[in-house]
Amino acid sequence: MKKNDLYSKEEKRFRDKNKIYATQSVKQIAYSTDNRDFGQVARSIPCQDACPAKTNIPGYIRCVYEKRYGRAYELNRVANVLPGVLGRICSRPCESACRHGEPENGVSVGICHLKRSCADLKPASHKIIEGLYSPTNKHVAVIGSGPAGLATAHDLAILGHKVTIYEAEDKPGGMMMYGIPEFRLPRDLLLLEIKNIVRLGIEMKTGQMIGRDITLDELKNDHDAVVIATGCVSPRMLGVPGEDLVNLHNGLEFMRSVNQGGKPFVGKKVVVIGAGFTAVDCARSAIRLGAADVSINIRKTIEYMRIDETEKHEAQFEGIKTYSLIQPSKIMGENGIVTGIEFIRTRLEKTQRPPYRKSVPIENSQFVIKANSVIAALGQTPDSQVISNELGSIDKNEHKSGIDGVFLAGDFVTGSSDVISAVAGGKKCARAIDEYMTGEIRKQTVVRLENHKTTDRPRAFDFIGKIVMNTVEMDARLTDADTEVETGYKDDQAHEEAKRCYLCNLKYEIDPLACIYCSACIDVAPKDCIKMIKDVPVATDGTFGPYVETNQWNNVVSIAIDNANCIRCGNCLAVCPMDCISVTKTELIEIDT
Amino acid sequence: MPSNDHYVIIGNGPAGNHAASVLRNKDKDAKITIISDECTPYYYKPKLTGFIQGKISARELMVNGPDDYTNGYYKNIRIRLGQTIERIDPDFNAVFLNHMEKIQYTGLIIASGGQARVLPSMIPYAEHLSFIASYSDVMDIKDRIDKAEEFFIFGGDLVGFKFLRMLNAMGKKTSVLIYPNAFWPYNLTDDMLEKIIKSLSGLTSDIIVKDDIKKIEKNESGFRVFTQKGVVKTTDLIFSFNGMAPNIDFAVGCGLDTDHGILVDEYLKTNIDNIYACGSCAQVYNPSIKSYCVSIGWPNAMVQGEVCALNLLGEKKVVESVGRKYFDLEGVRIKTTWWDDINDDSLRM
Amino acid sequence: MKDINLVVEICGSAGEGTISAGEILSRFMSGQGFEIMSFDSYPAEIRGFGKCVAHTRISTNPIYSPGKYADVLISLNDRHSISQLSVLKSDGILIYDNQPPKAHKEDQSVVGWATPGMISYGIPLNMLANKAAGNARGMNMVALGALAALFHVDKDAFTGSIRNRYAKKKQIVVDSNVNSFLQGYEWTKTNVNKTDLISFDSVSPQVQGEKLITNGNQLVARAALDAKLSFYAGYPITPATKIMEILSKELPKHGGTLLQTEDEIAAIGAVIGAGFGGKRAMTATSGPGFALMTEFTGLSMMAEVPAVIINSQRGGPSTGIPTKTEQSDFNAALFSGTGDCPRVVLAPTDTSSCYQAMVTALYIAEKYQTLVVLLLDFFLSNSIKNIDVPDKPSQEQIYANIAPNKEQLKDYKRYKDTKNGISPRAIPGTPGGMFFSTGLEHSEYGRPDYTDANHLKMTKKRYRKFESILCEAPKLEISAMDSESVDIGVVSWGSSAGAAHEAVMIARKEGMNAASFSSMMVSPFPEDELIAFTDRCKQILIPELNFSGQFAGFAAGIIKRPVERLNFITGRPMAAEDILQKMREM
Repeated sequence: MKKNDLYSKEEKRFRDKNKIYATQSVKQIAYSTDNRDFGQVARSIPCQDACPAKTNIPGYIRCVYEKRYGRAYELNRVANVLPGVLGRICSRPCESACRHGEPENGVSVGICHLKRSCADLKPASHKIIEGLYSPTNKHVAVIGSGPAGLATAHDLAILGHKVTIYEAEDKPGGMMMYGIPEFRLPRDLLLLEIKNIVRLGIEMKTGQMIGRDITLDELKNDHDAVVIATGCVSPRMLGVPGEDLVNLHNGLEFMRSVNQGGKPFVGKKVVVIGAGFTAVDCARSAIRLGAADVSINIRKTIEYMRIDETEKHEAQFEGIKTYSLIQPSKIMGENGIVTGIEFIRTRLEKTQRPPYRKSVPIENSQFVIKANSVIAALGQTPDSQVISNELGSIDKNEHKSGIDGVFLAGDFVTGSSDVISAVAGGKKCARAIDEYMTGEIRKQTVVRLENHKTTDRPRAFDFIGKIVMNTVEMDARLTDADTEVETGYKDDQAHEEAKRCYLCNLKYEIDPLACIYCSACIDVAPKDCIKMIKDVPVATDGTFGPYVETNQWNNVVSIAIDNANCIRCGNCLAVCPMDCISVTKTELIEIDT
Repeated sequence: MPSNDHYVIIGNGPAGNHAASVLRNKDKDAKITIISDECTPYYYKPKLTGFIQGKISARELMVNGPDDYTNGYYKNIRIRLGQTIERIDPDFNAVFLNHMEKIQYTGLIIASGGQARVLPSMIPYAEHLSFIASYSDVMDIKDRIDKAEEFFIFGGDLVGFKFLRMLNAMGKKTSVLIYPNAFWPYNLTDDMLEKIIKSLSGLTSDIIVKDDIKKIEKNESGFRVFTQKGVVKTTDLIFSFNGMAPNIDFAVGCGLDTDHGILVDEYLKTNIDNIYACGSCAQVYNPSIKSYCVSIGWPNAMVQGEVCALNLLGEKKVVESVGRKYFDLEGVRIKTTWWDDINDDSLRM
Repeated sequence: MKDINLVVEICGSAGEGTISAGEILSRFMSGQGFEIMSFDSYPAEIRGFGKCVAHTRISTNPIYSPGKYADVLISLNDRHSISQLSVLKSDGILIYDNQPPKAHKEDQSVVGWATPGMISYGIPLNMLANKAAGNARGMNMVALGALAALFHVDKDAFTGSIRNRYAKKKQIVVDSNVNSFLQGYEWTKTNVNKTDLISFDSVSPQVQGEKLITNGNQLVARAALDAKLSFYAGYPITPATKIMEILSKELPKHGGTLLQTEDEIAAIGAVIGAGFGGKRAMTATSGPGFALMTEFTGLSMMAEVPAVIINSQRGGPSTGIPTKTEQSDFNAALFSGTGDCPRVVLAPTDTSSCYQAMVTALYIAEKYQTLVVLLLDFFLSNSIKNIDVPDKPSQEQIYANIAPNKEQLKDYKRYKDTKNGISPRAIPGTPGGMFFSTGLEHSEYGRPDYTDANHLKMTKKRYRKFESILCEAPKLEISAMDSESVDIGVVSWGSSAGAAHEAVMIARKEGMNAASFSSMMVSPFPEDELIAFTDRCKQILIPELNFSGQFAGFAAGIIKRPVERLNFITGRPMAAEDILQKMREM
């Protein structure tokens, strides 16, 4: 391996230029489409890589630190048109990936809370900036105004297309409007962010259900393209006797009723079945409807629930119990009304694929408990038959359907997922439609490289503990069921929490041609982050694989910083006698081709 | 040939110590390490209230004498005290200690016992609460108990009532809030509750039932407790007696199956081959009732420790429950053994 | 008032601030009115990354020895501290870093080796130092902060002490250190659950006058200046280098001259030259250098030229163990050299007596026109103690030369055979005081004279001087003997005397009947007093830090009785605990 092979062509040019200007503080910027750079960004910015929408997380957190909340909001909006919404209800895959949460590094940064802070704390005079393309005279119909539909519509509108959204319900927002309880997502905020999308000239037709009010064929004829983004609406059934009893609610229907201001009967003792966000939402809503004894009942164990720690904590705090390793085997009733539920105990068994465990019922271990109502929140599946039966088999990674000009986006194609995945799916779908209609690729994602002189943060920031989200007291939660439980960070809290981000978008590199192998940097390294390497293999997808380490000086090709372990403390930068460690800001951005 | 085995035991209670002794007897060469987050050598937890009262000395509280430990070894078993497990890495057969030391094992026995259970609703006030669940709890609070005059006790498990008796004997003023579900994993019926109240009425003037704490306020000298039903109590110390919760935080998420405790089969084996669990941190599968249960009590811990050790060495012994089947709670008989014919509802947390 | 008697050890790698932390701790404690003694140990290589231990004893009562076992061990480096655990008491306190940057392999963490009974407090030293100053250099101050918080030590006074220590450094250095200290203090206050009983609350030792925090090397340099030393020649060698270093700065200011020579032979030559010229002159060295000087010691003796050699002993023979302490140059100091060559040997027994010993050495050398060897050792040279400010030497001690009077100058005999053996000494340049001086045997006039009668007469004269020198000897240190006779008498010399004295005191408290004896003057030795002492002892124990029992052999020859020996060559100072152990066995 030659030392020069360490860099992509673009970066090499960039580095050479940088060398010339090293003494002057000239901003050097390069754009790369090299797979090695994409691979590097993915590996060294784990939060962004985990985000389905590839949100520029270090970028916006840095802005929060600088108290430029408006700019932070806009950075979010590039990837996701609903920052305020997702700052509250996102499933936060980024936080599981955050390097600050790795063993020995402490607790993940409150990425989601900070996203919310952008929306909450941006100045009243904040202006939304959109780069509008010229009109194309193409017209697209988007079916469904959930997160996928809205994201698709927004991006198409930006690209100059005329968009009409067809929404079956009275209000836009889909699952966000009808599935999520108001104490987690205030509706005025949701409507405001939807309005900011629709303002681009999008026509929103509510109360228009495909198959009831209008057919897919009609839409197809009237538009250049049609997007189906109706999400997942068919609830999974328990599949046990007694499912037709009164006071057995389906989770989605239950939430929908609550969100429309209804008060479905729950009684004193409520049994919720399910291990996802909806189950928790149902249980917390039941508490607000006056239930005294609410339990969430899961087939596996709490560890495998598909919710995050905050939700677990809030549910526990509100007095909701969780019973594990049981699954319903029969709903008990008298006179057609629920009186109890029979469970069968389960045990865990290993499986080969994530989540690596399944539950297996233990024969003859049934037992019965009393209940006034049962809420089955087992998730949903897409219902393609309602729309059309010509869509053909659906490929989860594609947006095209079996019908020319009909595209698919969000949960409808991927199956039940989360809001951020739906937003990401919508964006991708919009690009596919644009290419279909214009016959060219007009936007592309590139890696932007910019020289950077400092670490932007002192090491002391690494030791700040996570700022706990402010919440309202239990009293207030029960007096008005719609009171938002989380109240957001205050200005100073957000600033403090933002300090915790390692800023993984800054890439630290040792120039092997200038390095004198003094290993001073290794001595001050806080982790196993600087390595003596003999090779950097390139994987089949064109990205760099993990470094091949050696402890034989004879074989050392370079001393290299492993950006996948680096916590950006800057110790090496400070100690290097040769000044051969460079900092480069790497960002994924979208540019015109 | 000397064995290269290293048996690591997490927990220095009856289960852990018994497991270690059995391993030592069966395998003279193996390296055996006991790790405990407590700094105190092996002691009798049930005797703690007696120790607070001064009925027994610190030496009498200890199972082994100071001379039994030389250079950190007891019967050639390495004792690591005051060392907390950070996490387990079953893929590499390693446990990571909190002070950042990595220990390789060939066999692991988890016998970490339980810790005082903090009710979820009390989490915001956890710092105001006192417990009598470990030697260090007692050392922390001993002087303050002597000085304090008014006590607020809520929950009310076996230790709690023992403690109440003690305070009464010391002439302290007490208020008691009884939770029917404090006897986890057992629930009290109304009849039982009535009997208990009757029995306690000689010890305290102030028994609150069917109510709950709403808020705790700290002031300069002590606390003010507000209940849901509007009772307000001023007190010097607040004690929580709500049973024990298995101490398994370090094991969650490492690949071990955990629920309330560490899930093990009737052989006390976890879902990973060379890891076993025993004592009150283990949630043991009982084939006769087709359910998982957590055991309590010193005798059960000892037996489980032994079974764990034997099975780790290759035997296939099914665990059985021992000890008293009932204990006496203020005149009410409560079943201690989780082994046979137990009401399902009462098993639930 | 509560008593405090605490041994604190800080163990780290060279360059981690181990020694400076120990220094700050002892200075602070001294300022608070405590008695302190500290003795640091360095890697055997003079420079490098080896193990450093700062050992400090803090007490409300007088301290005689540094203490063998530690009550508190602060680990700044796990690898080095594991071996240091062996000197931590079985109920001692271990303060360690529980959040090092990298995880330790099994058994490489110091706390992993803490035995039941020890109390260990994990403090994230590295992390807090980083938090305070952005790097790990302040770990030592974090540890001190933790110590202060644990033992309820006055925080503000302590930070003041740190500010003083770094007063001459840049503000950022001061701030980093103080911030690190405070981080450690606050973190420990809020996070650590104290389970030990050590507390400085309501401990208020009496501050007794002005104290001097110093070590043997500093004291002899100070004493030499006070006693009007005017010439020093030397060649650096551990552990005596510091004396030369101090004098190189101070001596010129006092009108004196310091000469660094090419080797020790040249150094002693220059000293004898200056002595011949009437100047107070000395050199300081250690074993290997002393060996080189041997030939010249004879000249000083023969030509009756005043000269002082300080020999700070280290592990020997040859280059030996430069940074460890030993008392193995006893024979060399007394008996090296050729011919019948008596000399004065002074061995101070503790830090404060170093001052008096130095003044006495210069005084005796000048008055008796002879060679004086001052025997220090690595421990005395380097151990730090807070002592009362010593009294300045008297005029008599400073101007001690017995000069010839007019009568004598009429027929000046430089080597006149007088009653006490001291011949009036004319300084070159004295009118009428011209004389011959040579290393050859000579007549009273100084001319070579090899006749047997003359050789006998002059040798007798030179030995006669020593009979009267004994009366110049500083007071003997004999512990009170209440009874007519004791079971065990401990006879000791040099730096072992403190430990011996402490051991005897503890033994008496335990009910043993024991007494101790030591003399700063080891040549000529107060033989009568020793015999008087030992006659009252049933058994005699002689502890010393050499393998062959050099002093024991010497003393046994005097008292003509078998003695019990206790010998260590561990490189560590003599420990009262070890003597006590031996006494119990006897």
